[in-house]
Amino acid sequence: MQCDLCESKATIFFTQIIDGVTKKLNLCETCAAEQGVTDPEEFLLDSLDMPLDETTPVEITQDIQPASVTASDESACCTDCGFSFDDLKKIGRLGCSTCYTFFREEIKHNLAGMHKGSNHVGRVPEGMLEAFQKRQQLEALETEMAQAIEVEDYEKASALRDEINQLEDADPKTP
Amino acid sequence: MMRFSTLLKHPADWMTGAGADSAVVLTSRIRLARNVTGAPFPGWARKDERCAILSSLRGKVEALPDMKNAFSQELSALSSVQKQVLVERHLISREQAARGEGSATIVNRNQTLSVMINEEDHLRLQSIRSGLHLREAYALLANLDTELEKKLPYAFDHELGYLTACPTNLGTGLRASAMLHLPGLVISDHISQVIQAVSKLGLAVRGIFGEGTESLGHLFQISNQSTLGESESEIIERLERVIKKVRDHERNARLKLIEDDPQMVADKIARAYGLLKYAYVIDSKEALTHLSLIRLGSDMGCFPKETIQLCDTLLMDIEPAHLQHQAGRKLTPEERDTNRAEIIRDRLQSLQRPDISFIN
Repeated sequence: MQCDLCESKATIFFTQIIDGVTKKLNLCETCAAEQGVTDPEEFLLDSLDMPLDETTPVEITQDIQPASVTASDESACCTDCGFSFDDLKKIGRLGCSTCYTFFREEIKHNLAGMHKGSNHVGRVPEGMLEAFQKRQQLEALETEMAQAIEVEDYEKASALRDEINQLEDADPKTP
Repeated sequence: MMRFSTLLKHPADWMTGAGADSAVVLTSRIRLARNVTGAPFPGWARKDERCAILSSLRGKVEALPDMKNAFSQELSALSSVQKQVLVERHLISREQAARGEGSATIVNRNQTLSVMINEEDHLRLQSIRSGLHLREAYALLANLDTELEKKLPYAFDHELGYLTACPTNLGTGLRASAMLHLPGLVISDHISQVIQAVSKLGLAVRGIFGEGTESLGHLFQISNQSTLGESESEIIERLERVIKKVRDHERNARLKLIEDDPQMVADKIARAYGLLKYAYVIDSKEALTHLSLIRLGSDMGCFPKETIQLCDTLLMDIEPAHLQHQAGRKLTPEERDTNRAEIIRDRLQSLQRPDISFIN
């Protein structure tokens, strides 16, 4: 995700609630330091001068202290939308569809209490149907192969291995 | 493009299409939650992002064959009364009514299909039918969904299904619900048992306007909670089975009331008739409670059959925003109570006094 003030990559995601109004800002370290994001006493999103267009020149300064208190660690945020797992705990909703890739295990952990199962059954978007079926087929074959190995039926396992490889190579486009 | 006034001039198809089975189950509703890839969910998106998503989706929804000559409006272009009218008609959610810029609603001509853009998810597709017709409602919606998926990159995961802003909607993204009129179970004091039993099956029972509202007019909504791990038809069939059971319980409760205490039933229905026909000031709760008894009376043969439709249309027309829309201005609660009484008196004018045939 791009910094709201310049074209650098945003690594600091700032949320501020003023009189019940939530404001969000995504900044690169340079702009964050310039705007004083690291000092929560000083920084208000309202007082921030937003550039009029994308071409506003931004000075790059060296030796910036990494932001601490208010900045989130990049590794714990969705790179597409800057959403952090803490945000999910707070608001109960995710930031974008990519968040599911980032917080997959954490989310799956909580699904059991909400739903009948943990695997999708039912409608699949038309364009993804083939890939979906292939994946299910592969999973079934892999289970079968594991069972074959368990009972030491290596002939069958090897045949299944070939079948899996063949299926995997059949269509290079992955879901 | 249809105007707001045109949309409201005609009652929705599902309000008037009352069949023989709508005495207990008023309406069936299905909604699907859908999102597109590469864009933040509405609740997390900045205003400019939200507006960009809206403009990329809106044209595609409007171009759907099912949405020909539809009503399409941005929420920010609607007054608070207009938004509330749409909520009362179940065409938009309360959550969407609270939204402004970057959110829109598209409703087809006969109000059977509606699409909310940028509610909690990028797209919420909804279909309503009268009576217990969940499958028909889903079939209509599946068409719309198929058309849309040709044009949009839906966010979908092979394990988690359709990806939604809230994990509670993952999988099918399908919420099926039916609105039931259960005066028999309420009067005979069996309603809490039924609610408990239904809840144990993992289904939700709520008051008329969904989450966080008390039941008014003996109206309840039953819906599925789980959306992942069951197919669309499994969800719908399971819900339908439970609804049919509740419907049978309600029918039995009505019969038992007549058998056990016909005087009490007659008294309730006849008082409701008298009260609604002669009241000059009536609040929403009182009106809904008594209209419910008129509706019950129609099913018990005290009033002509078509009185049920009359009640169902009235239920909506006496809601606060509908009253204000009708009056063309904001009304104080006191003014609303006066207008409400007037509309009810007017509509019930030709309704003859109840024929209590179940007392010999």
